Amino acid sequence: MDISYYLYLSAALFVIGAVGVVIRRNAIVIFMCIELMLNASNLAFVTFARIHGNLEGQMVAFFTMVVAACEVVVGLAIIVMIYRSRRSASVDDASLLRR
Amino acid sequence: MLESETLVVLIALPLFSSGFLLLAGRKADKWGHLFATAIAGSTFLLAMIEMFAMVGREEANRALYQKVFTWISVGSFNVDAALLLDQLSICFVLLITGVGTLIHIYSISYMSHDPDRRRFFAYLNLFIAAMLLLVLGDSYLNLYVGWEGVGLASYLLIGFWNKKPEYATAAKKAFVVNRIGDLGLSIAIMVAFAVFGTVTFKGIEEQANSASQGAMVAIGFALLLAAVGKSAQFPLQSWLGDAMAGPTPVSALIHAATMVTAGVYLIVRSNFVFDNAPIAQFAVVIVGAITLLFGAIIGMAKDDIKKALAASTMSQIGYMILAAGLGPIGYAFAIMHLLTHGFFKAGMFLGAGSVMHGMSDEVNMRRYGGLARYMPITTITFGFGYLAIIGVPPFAGFYSKDKIIEAAFNLGGAKGIVFGSITLLGAVITAFYMTRLFMMTFLGKKRWSEGQRPHESPFLIWAPMVILSLGSIGSGFLLYSGKRLEYWLKPVVDKGGHKHEEFISHATVTTMALTAVLIGVAIAIAKYRKDIPIEAPEKVSIFTRAARKDLMQDQINETLFMRPGLAITSTLVKTDEKVIDGLVRGVAQVSLGSAKGLRRIQSGYIRNYALLILIGAAALIAAIWVVTL
Amino acid sequence: MTGFVTPKLEYVALLPMLIIFAGAIIGVLVEAFAKQSLRKFIHSLLTPTTLLLALFQVFANKDLVTTNAAINSVVIDGPVIIAQGTILILTLISLLFILDVDSFAPEASALPGSEEERKALAIGKQQTEIFPLLLFSVAGMMLFPAANDLITLFIALEVLSLPLYLMAGLSRRRRLFSQESAMKYFLLGAYSSAFFIFGAAFLYGYSGSIQFSQIRSAVVGSSGNDVLLLIGIVFLSVGLLFKVGAVPFHAWTPDVYQGAPTPITGFMAAVTKVAAFLAVLRIFYTVLDGAIWQWRPLLTAVAILTMVVGSVVALVQRDVKRMLAYSSIAHAGFLLTGVIAFNKAGLESSLFYLLAYGIATLGAFGIITLIQDSQGEVTDLNRWAGLGKKSPAIASAFAFFLLTFAGIPLTSGFIGKFSIFSAAYESGNIAVVVVGVLTSALAAFFYIRVIVLMFFTDAKDATVTVTLPTLRSSIAVWGTAFLTLILGVLPNSTLSFIENLAIFTR
Repeated sequence: MDISYYLYLSAALFVIGAVGVVIRRNAIVIFMCIELMLNASNLAFVTFARIHGNLEGQMVAFFTMVVAACEVVVGLAIIVMIYRSRRSASVDDASLLRR
Repeated sequence: MLESETLVVLIALPLFSSGFLLLAGRKADKWGHLFATAIAGSTFLLAMIEMFAMVGREEANRALYQKVFTWISVGSFNVDAALLLDQLSICFVLLITGVGTLIHIYSISYMSHDPDRRRFFAYLNLFIAAMLLLVLGDSYLNLYVGWEGVGLASYLLIGFWNKKPEYATAAKKAFVVNRIGDLGLSIAIMVAFAVFGTVTFKGIEEQANSASQGAMVAIGFALLLAAVGKSAQFPLQSWLGDAMAGPTPVSALIHAATMVTAGVYLIVRSNFVFDNAPIAQFAVVIVGAITLLFGAIIGMAKDDIKKALAASTMSQIGYMILAAGLGPIGYAFAIMHLLTHGFFKAGMFLGAGSVMHGMSDEVNMRRYGGLARYMPITTITFGFGYLAIIGVPPFAGFYSKDKIIEAAFNLGGAKGIVFGSITLLGAVITAFYMTRLFMMTFLGKKRWSEGQRPHESPFLIWAPMVILSLGSIGSGFLLYSGKRLEYWLKPVVDKGGHKHEEFISHATVTTMALTAVLIGVAIAIAKYRKDIPIEAPEKVSIFTRAARKDLMQDQINETLFMRPGLAITSTLVKTDEKVIDGLVRGVAQVSLGSAKGLRRIQSGYIRNYALLILIGAAALIAAIWVVTL
Repeated sequence: MTGFVTPKLEYVALLPMLIIFAGAIIGVLVEAFAKQSLRKFIHSLLTPTTLLLALFQVFANKDLVTTNAAINSVVIDGPVIIAQGTILILTLISLLFILDVDSFAPEASALPGSEEERKALAIGKQQTEIFPLLLFSVAGMMLFPAANDLITLFIALEVLSLPLYLMAGLSRRRRLFSQESAMKYFLLGAYSSAFFIFGAAFLYGYSGSIQFSQIRSAVVGSSGNDVLLLIGIVFLSVGLLFKVGAVPFHAWTPDVYQGAPTPITGFMAAVTKVAAFLAVLRIFYTVLDGAIWQWRPLLTAVAILTMVVGSVVALVQRDVKRMLAYSSIAHAGFLLTGVIAFNKAGLESSLFYLLAYGIATLGAFGIITLIQDSQGEVTDLNRWAGLGKKSPAIASAFAFFLLTFAGIPLTSGFIGKFSIFSAAYESGNIAVVVVGVLTSALAAFFYIRVIVLMFFTDAKDATVTVTLPTLRSSIAVWGTAFLTLILGVLPNSTLSFIENLAIFTR
């Protein structure tokens, strides 16, 4: 199978994630969409590592996972804090700051 | 250009003295004013030494140059804090230090009852330093520093008696209007830098002939805006009248002899810009012409002696600006009128101060009258200034104004006739209102109340007036005879040695000018021979009413710069705010409209922001794709 | 099979960052083990000491140049040294405000307005995690410009960002605003990071390596039109431009700047910009220099857009923090002209600009913390009217900073703008210089409007007062004002110091 299909898959996942961030309202779902984008990047890295025959890309994928985990920690903390004070995780409710 | 090591001393002396006096505190109260005066005097001595040295040098070597330190150095780009003393700047240096010293002396006595006299003298020294920097800077950037410095000093001095709120307001008004002018200068600097990659006069001059017309016109108009703000020209002239709130010596030094003429200096110094941008140059002439009439008309109706003199200053600077806009035929005469005006106007302001001194600070001329008997010296010195400003030979103003009228006619064609006639008309009105002023103050019956005891001022006050009146008598002929000043300035302002066509003979101009003066004086005598009412009459022509209100200038500004239809604001403070707000509106109506549109993007919704990022990324992809096609 | 080679680290070169990381970890331990009442005191000693030690070490490393500090992952050269020094100096200044003002929530996890929060307030509790978070962030910022491969760049980006997300949410007052700004910053930041890493993947795909030097040789050797490369450049730029706050990736800036605790806003505005711009400069100057004809038009468009939007929208702002946020967007545009210049002068002037702008920004935000009523800081511009009469000294200092932002001569802002525009001019990018000059003139209006408001308008609101600055704030306010003046009047020694060091090592 042509290895470039993995790249198309990666791009598709990335676009789904990127569009999902824009159209969804729940902060948790938005965050999941961002995770999807990160994983799309991971897929791209691994595919490229395969194409070039070196390990650097795979290594990056591991790092990205670690970073994603850290982001979860920070992100959930913030989202939970918002949820507790507003009883809602909708990002549209959090729009006091504007103009 | 010769290198010099000493120019910086000229600026450093008053600058350090000013800082020293401000820091010294109350301990220096006893001798601070004497110290400051001594410093001012020594700068004048230095200036004289430089002057004689310059006269002694070959024409090609007259200019002196001193690099003080490297200010900015980035890559191949350098800006030095450097000073340039050439034939043009030495004229100003002498005027500033000379008149400055006299006014220091005058102020010793005039301000003797003020508890803050030391602070006043510190500000005066600061002003001298800044003004010297303005005329000695070798680049627009250095000039700008001085330009801001004189603005600051002027702000401090106008508001010196800032315990009275109206005075503080006047200071603010001057400050705000001047910022608009400063904006013009900074735009000019930036455009000049963008076009030429340098901001020194020399560097720009070298490339001026090959630069694009558009750039030159842009720089020219920006410089004109700067000059208009600083020199109280139409349509930004309104602050000058209010600035009279400051102590009278300040009015004489800053608002008559030196700072307000900085605009003229800027235009003459930038001759290489304006000579290559005829449109901007013509705009200069128009501004000058409008202002000279405006000021003169306002001057006719003012009863406050200082405000009448301020209107006259506006008008006289209008003459200078007009002359400077005429190009190489006019530069020298603009400077000549500037110098003679420096003498006679400063002299008259000091005279007005002396009158106020003797009349317990009364400024309304309707309450003067017949003062000649009580103040002979003031009357005579003021009289010389009066004869000089209306242009009676052989007094100073005759030579300088005559040449400007002649140069205006020599524009040729319809333009020449229009501007020539305006200058003549200005001469008529000048003769009228100055005669009015002189008669109301010194001649006629006494109209002051019984409590007043008018008396001649002490020696320290009249001595500077006498010296200045000598200038009002002699300076014109001195500069004019043998085209002395013209030849002197030629290397700076008229390198090409332009041939001037003569459309009108010198004798004709002189005759017309003298006729104009006679008409003006005659009307004034006819009108003010009779008794003058103590209260200003209510039933006057609409013309006079308009002139009393500064020709509606504040209101015109409002309609021009502010939302049309806005009710006349009750306080000046409010007006200031509106000028800025209004200018933003006028200049940047489009920006504000788009700002409101752009603001809508800031909806507060995260997904909209994310969408913006997504669109941005897509746009970049599209753009890079287009770029690489 | 080759034998395992022990990786060799140049500890001296890495020492400044190691010191900061160590300080941060000790800070976390303090949070875990020290008594509640002692924590702030310990941090107030530990944090500055750490920063000073690191600064000292940076200065000692002044002449060090190496690409091999951590097996080709970290590069230490002149620009990095200057950037790290700048970051540390600016952080030290902002620390004076952070330590001084009670801007932070007593108990971040407590509900706003709840009983729990009131109790925490009553016993004078304070969320002291801010200090280790600050140090972690600083460490990330120091690593960001020094990164020499894509992984290090990404990790540094996250290390500097994650603590900032949290710090933005820790405001003591208006906690809903603060929490909201934290969420916005976090979600959008993570979103842009995703773009960034996706772009990095494509650069790796294009060149077959994550090493900057090898990416560079791949770019130089090609026509530069490969689709992988182009996607890589664009997406990587999105991530970087988000951090510097360039239009159209700027939308978070005003909201976050307004919501975050003011000392943190100052820290973000001043210090994050240094790190982000240095990374931008390194990427575009030394990694993607072969593709300059592809990225330069893009960045030119972004820079012009950024300058225009920043200056124009600032005109209609009514909140002082939002106004400064838009002004920081405009300044990002001015700084981008230094990137576009693509010459040594561009690098030098950017470094100077970052220092000058950072100092003035810290001063300005520091002053905002001092203008208060009973509810805390007053950021509504209308209520600043007449401040010049109430407190001439503080108002004058603020006016001076505004004039610096406007680029009036005799301030450091002028030298910065002047040199950065001249660099862009030298490189022939006239359009961007013209737009820069015009927008600076436009921007001058809204700065001057504020000055007029402070000095020439009568106070409408007597409740606004200036809290008397303590010794620390005084030092910070007057120190920043003094430095701004010095950099404006006698910039030459700083400029020549930068000039000698500002050479990127590839």
